Amino acid sequence: MSRLKEIATELVEVARSAGADDAVAEVYDGSVDQIRYSNSMIDTSNYWKSENAHVFVAVEGRTMASDLRDLRLARKAVPEMVKSARASPVNEDYKGIAKGRFRYSRGRVDKRITSIRDPARYVHEAIGAATANGAADVGGTLFVRRSEWCIASTGGALAEDANASIDLSVRAFSQPESSGQAVLVTANLDKMKAAATGERAAEFAAAAKDPVQGETGKFDLIMEPLFLGGIVGATGAMASALAVELGMSMFAKKMGKRVASGSVSMIDDPTLKTMSRRAFDHEGRPTRKNVVIKDGVLKTFLHNTSTAKRFKARPTASTGPLVATLFSTPSEPVMFHPVLSKGDQSVDELIEDVRDGFYMNNTWYTRFQNYSTGDFSTIPRDAILRIRNGEIVGSVKNIRVSDNLMTFWKNIDALSRSSEEIYWWDEAAPPADLPAARARKMTITRSS
Amino acid sequence: MIDEDTAERTLDQVASGASPELAEVKLVSLKAREMSIKSGQVHSVSSSTDAGMYVRVVLDTGIGFASVNRISRSAGRDLAKRAVRLAKASKRKERVKLSHEKAAKARWSVRQRMPLGDVSTEDRMSYLKSLDSAVTGTGLKVQGRFFEVADVEISSYLATTDGARISSFLPRVRMNCLNMVTSKGETEQSFREWGSVGGWERTDEWGAGPALSQEMKMLKNLIDKGKAVKPGTYDLICGPEVTGIASHESCGHPMEADRILGREMSQAGKSFVKPEMIGDEIGSELATVIDDPTVPGSYGYYEYDDEGVRAKPRFLYKKGVINEFLHNRETAGRLGVKSNASSRSSVYWKEPIVRMANTFVAPGDMGEDEMIASVKDGVYMNSFTEWNIDDKRYNQKYVSREAYFVRNGKVAGPARNCVLEITTPRFWKSIDAVSKRIELIAAECGKGDPMQDAAVYAGGPMLRLREVNLR
Repeated sequence: MSRLKEIATELVEVARSAGADDAVAEVYDGSVDQIRYSNSMIDTSNYWKSENAHVFVAVEGRTMASDLRDLRLARKAVPEMVKSARASPVNEDYKGIAKGRFRYSRGRVDKRITSIRDPARYVHEAIGAATANGAADVGGTLFVRRSEWCIASTGGALAEDANASIDLSVRAFSQPESSGQAVLVTANLDKMKAAATGERAAEFAAAAKDPVQGETGKFDLIMEPLFLGGIVGATGAMASALAVELGMSMFAKKMGKRVASGSVSMIDDPTLKTMSRRAFDHEGRPTRKNVVIKDGVLKTFLHNTSTAKRFKARPTASTGPLVATLFSTPSEPVMFHPVLSKGDQSVDELIEDVRDGFYMNNTWYTRFQNYSTGDFSTIPRDAILRIRNGEIVGSVKNIRVSDNLMTFWKNIDALSRSSEEIYWWDEAAPPADLPAARARKMTITRSS
Repeated sequence: MIDEDTAERTLDQVASGASPELAEVKLVSLKAREMSIKSGQVHSVSSSTDAGMYVRVVLDTGIGFASVNRISRSAGRDLAKRAVRLAKASKRKERVKLSHEKAAKARWSVRQRMPLGDVSTEDRMSYLKSLDSAVTGTGLKVQGRFFEVADVEISSYLATTDGARISSFLPRVRMNCLNMVTSKGETEQSFREWGSVGGWERTDEWGAGPALSQEMKMLKNLIDKGKAVKPGTYDLICGPEVTGIASHESCGHPMEADRILGREMSQAGKSFVKPEMIGDEIGSELATVIDDPTVPGSYGYYEYDDEGVRAKPRFLYKKGVINEFLHNRETAGRLGVKSNASSRSSVYWKEPIVRMANTFVAPGDMGEDEMIASVKDGVYMNSFTEWNIDDKRYNQKYVSREAYFVRNGKVAGPARNCVLEITTPRFWKSIDAVSKRIELIAAECGKGDPMQDAAVYAGGPMLRLREVNLR
């Protein structure tokens, strides 16, 4: 038995001995190398390592979760957790954890990634390629992530998993207000193309030169996968059953109904070999492919055991981290890895069929007036290219997409036949496999 | 109890492997607790203890940062070696220049009248239930009813090779909530947050219960009686929450020197402000925006920053002029000025970067009633929902949550989803009156990669903006 497995098993046994009815222990061992660079130079090289355990206990319907950051003290902390749980009010929402005899598929880690010793060379390759393609100023980040984790539970879960990935973000400026952004995310080192990523960012930056003030009104939009990443992330969060309960979702009362155009299918698939691949959710239930939207129709919400029982639905193995993160409450159902269906057109073909529109490289700051209606805006950044009569004719700046998220999905009329894995900062997140997309007649506004 | 000697030994270790311009060792130990309720029932209870350390080394070749969730001499030894190796590996063409600062030696702490660690689960639950009761007591249809109270007690020790030694204890508590009011088949949402440094006694001072009760009634009234604003040019009165978000987004962020110098270019972005713009006009004479970590009890409070520099108020925009950037030692060194103590790290495993603390517009001399009475045809936007701003911090949008028409000097009916979409200079140049009373609102500011959430206040007085476009 591995060390992590021993710890996880022991923590569950300690919890059980202390009187817990249910217990889950998830033990992590991970490290990250990060390089941050700007002005075409490395600013800082960072490294962080942590070993910790997320533990959840339930006793007589009372629950408690803890991030035990010092594993040497974890065995002593768990009985205290059970004691604290006993002293807490009953959690009426709690309906149990995953129980069963589970079988897990463990993915293979690319050991070449775990053994990278000189990550800076990728940064220099990206900067060099961007500069060679006209970029005056290049910045970004490179992450090399390595993680092993193990879960044990009183429900019968016992499994280990590991992943390693590398993600590179390159933003290139050709002029002070002309930039392009490209990312590369992979769990397979063969796919690491730092120079090509830098080149692509520089190509966008070159295309974005001499931007003029963008017009307002209704326009067709063609969006890069990177742009879609933020929109898909916001949409995926609304598929969480908890979001539906809280009024944080435009999908409430829409089950089985049309929420997007027929060309849109959205799947959460953490089983793919990606940066977010995982064999089990945070209750220990084996992950699976969940079709959330099929041909434009809403098919399921994402559930943990408790929300599934409350909704009288089947669990979807979507339990998120047992403790709160910056973006989720404890055990909240989450989308791990959205996959958007591909279409049958090339990006050039998507453009050819636009009479009056924009080609958008990236976006950020997607915010909602009201999550239950989906009214929102997002700010395109990096290359915003003007399309007239099927051709790119220049670049613009200072515009905003101000519309409704369900309208956005219903107005998608075509997707590209190619897709890519994307992830950028916490904007295009979580990591996702996405094509380019075309949305008709979206509202563009700007400052006065 | 933090073993300060570990920091000293770790610094020695750095010195044995390199001759850094600067090396810092920070040890952090914290206890955090969280409880939330949803629709009146417990949703989550959690607690954590954490201890870790980082070593940051600045060499001619670059900066290296290494951290681990352990505090020990052996961990310090490993981190010191690694940080030096990382700093060497950066191979910068330009040397990192740091500003020279007085090496401070200090111990500071924030007093708790009711220590957060002594507050029982029952008391936390009772507090959250009281908030829920304030909402349900309105008799309105409210969905969500999610209330979370979270607190943290952070002990830290910073030691640097240039002699700074700072020991601190910072307790901080916050409450955030989400409520959605339904009426006539329509909805309006409200996200609110309160936060302070200090002990549990601070939760009593917030007055969150009455405020939430009032907010629910306001949202119902907004749905039932609110009318859209006919697009056009109006006078706009911004309440402290709107003043605060504008101060934060279109003054605080663009005045962060790391953005100005491009250090955050691929994430949070650059800035429309350039180094040579100190002294340039950005707003009216009434536009003075201060960022001040020293406001007692404030959510963004600290006495020394994470580079050991003594905190002080920073006058970012002063009488409508770009006056002072937010600096850490790295940005100050590059621009040949002194740091103004803006270096903050949200947790020990993330590098310290330039951050705001409490950002607000300086008060003026007008009474609030007087300000409203001065508007013939306008809108009073007291709070906002949707907001965003571009990555150069020039184009911003605020959509109202609570807003009212103002006609002939009197508050008329509610205005629904009023949109202000405006450039940064236009916003600040349109101010022609500022009220006397200021209010500061707690918020979490996101920046950095990986994302670091910093506790901040944003706020100020009421502002009157003349002739801006609304819709």
